[in-house]
Amino acid sequence: MYRYDAIDRAVLADRTAEFRDQVRRRLAGELTEDQFKPLRLMNGLYLQLHAYMLRVAVPYGSLNPVQMRALADIARRFDRGYGHFTTRTNIQFNWVKLADAPDILDALAAVDLHAIQTSGNCIRNVTADPYAGAAADELEDPRVWCEAIRQWSSLHPEFSFLPRKFKIAVTASPRDRTAAKVHDIGLLLRRGRDGETGFEVIVGGGMGRTPYVGPTIRTYLPSDRLFSYLEAILRVYNRHGRRDNIYKARIKILVAALGAEAFAREVEAEWEKIGPEGDLPRAEIDRIGAAFTNPDFVADPASGDFEARRAAEPAFARFVRNNLKAHIRPGYGIVDISLKGIGETPGDISADQMDLVADLAERFGQGDIRSTHEQNLVLPHVRLEHVHEVWKALDAAGLATPNINLISDIIACPGLDYCALANARAICVAQDIARRFEAPDRAEAIGEFKIKISGCINACGHHHVGHIGILGVDKKGEEFYQLTLGGSGAEDAAVGKMLGPALPIDRVTDAVEAIVDAYLRERREGERFLDTLRRTGDAPFKEAVYAEAH
Amino acid sequence: MKALTANRLSDGEVVFWKDGAWVERLSEAQVFSDEAGAGEAEASARTQRTVVIDPYLIDLVDSAGFWAPVSYRERIRALGPTNHELHGKQAEGGGAVEALRQAHGAARSSGRVNLIRRK
Repeated sequence: MYRYDAIDRAVLADRTAEFRDQVRRRLAGELTEDQFKPLRLMNGLYLQLHAYMLRVAVPYGSLNPVQMRALADIARRFDRGYGHFTTRTNIQFNWVKLADAPDILDALAAVDLHAIQTSGNCIRNVTADPYAGAAADELEDPRVWCEAIRQWSSLHPEFSFLPRKFKIAVTASPRDRTAAKVHDIGLLLRRGRDGETGFEVIVGGGMGRTPYVGPTIRTYLPSDRLFSYLEAILRVYNRHGRRDNIYKARIKILVAALGAEAFAREVEAEWEKIGPEGDLPRAEIDRIGAAFTNPDFVADPASGDFEARRAAEPAFARFVRNNLKAHIRPGYGIVDISLKGIGETPGDISADQMDLVADLAERFGQGDIRSTHEQNLVLPHVRLEHVHEVWKALDAAGLATPNINLISDIIACPGLDYCALANARAICVAQDIARRFEAPDRAEAIGEFKIKISGCINACGHHHVGHIGILGVDKKGEEFYQLTLGGSGAEDAAVGKMLGPALPIDRVTDAVEAIVDAYLRERREGERFLDTLRRTGDAPFKEAVYAEAH
Repeated sequence: MKALTANRLSDGEVVFWKDGAWVERLSEAQVFSDEAGAGEAEASARTQRTVVIDPYLIDLVDSAGFWAPVSYRERIRALGPTNHELHGKQAEGGGAVEALRQAHGAARSSGRVNLIRRK
């Protein structure tokens, strides 16, 4: 992975020293809250319901064991012994004291981490395929481009005060594990006719109160022209994006208002003006790329007793079926670590669990850890002969729930339990559904099933792209939940359609179960829930959920 | 009936007004029966800029002999997150905490305006 150089470290040291002084001035009354708030937000420090929350950037979801242990240390020293991985692949600490925040930033800087640009109207942390550099179906490693974008966008003076926040995703596999089509910009790495690589450029996707699947504005952009093109998109947005209404300020609104073709023409005209001088020299991309050379893979390593244990131990076989993915190298696998233990808070991880993941990454995983936008972790490079030992260790720590992509692998935002914006809770709804579908045979029989829950229309829980989306609403002062069906954040991206009237909290899990039962009745051989729904329409599901009410 | 609440500047802790100072438990908060007294306290609280952030009044109802916020959101603030029962003020347990848990009458908090800007 990319390592900071002396300039990066000097920038961070300056920044934390600056914030330490800003905190001192705020506590001394030299700054008002109105003056201080934008400064703390620029350093990822929010005020939530119970305390300050610090959002730490995990660059394109990539961590090394030293960084993971530092996060564990912060959780113990400054929080309540845990952290929370988010749908932006970042980690949040929920119980931070203002006076401690500069010390936390110093602790982060010591391991090349920070909280810059995790808030505010700037370019946020880039989302990458969590299987990058490991996926069997990958064209090339997208992290090289993610790192280049990170460097380009960090403290970029022209793009630090955009009309609204801005999120970019990069993927190089046909299976989209980044939700690229619901990002402000989605970059899909493609092979051109000339054999070179380039990007399909999608702009104007998003969720929130106005969800869109982004349109493609360029089917093939040569990769060496990426940065001038990104600059052109951002310039058009900066110039024409609305600043008069916070709810209409995202680029998706501009793209929808102009139309994708007109927006693309504006971008192309701006791109023409910028020219190739706006691009990174190939030598710089190569320099960054050198930090992402393959780890020390063994050629055709023995798989030891992997197959024998798989045949002999049903629980291990289940873990392999659901949490082990094909690696680009023979003899290796990608291990998904579920942060969705049944009844647990999605995305939460204790300090002890963080230490364990760091140890396993060091011993068995080439020192590489990823966080996913679905609030799980990944050890991307594990030799098959070590998978059993990794599984045993994860299982002992409550991290081996074999439910990746299954019905209990639920995304949930912090909701009203923590968030100052939420209308309703999300975590307890996720916990209740997960408990209902705890039986692993049943979950596997149901197959791929993505439930995503948001506590308000800002959609941090990605409910618009859930196979079942669940949105918490405040209905005459009570927590109610609006169900949507048919969303997808994958390569077949779609925004879910509202099923019917919102339900009280105690009917949500029953409704989900009614939908699942209807799917199992209706499905044909080989169909996922989404396939069945697309074939039948929502009538059988609507009837299943609302029939009892009449 | 009303109480006055805010987050403490130094650590974000949820606090409640009591005779010109701030306490951490709602059960110890000053309860206002008149608009004028509540408004006066709120105005006074707003001058304590190095102590608290964003003070605002909340409506209360009686619950098992204790005062509880009408708003569900405010009850979570007064208790702590429902997914971690050992976090927040609820960890102390006792009658006042149980009364908050059992309280009904959820409604939007009067303090929740322009939240996306206030965050």
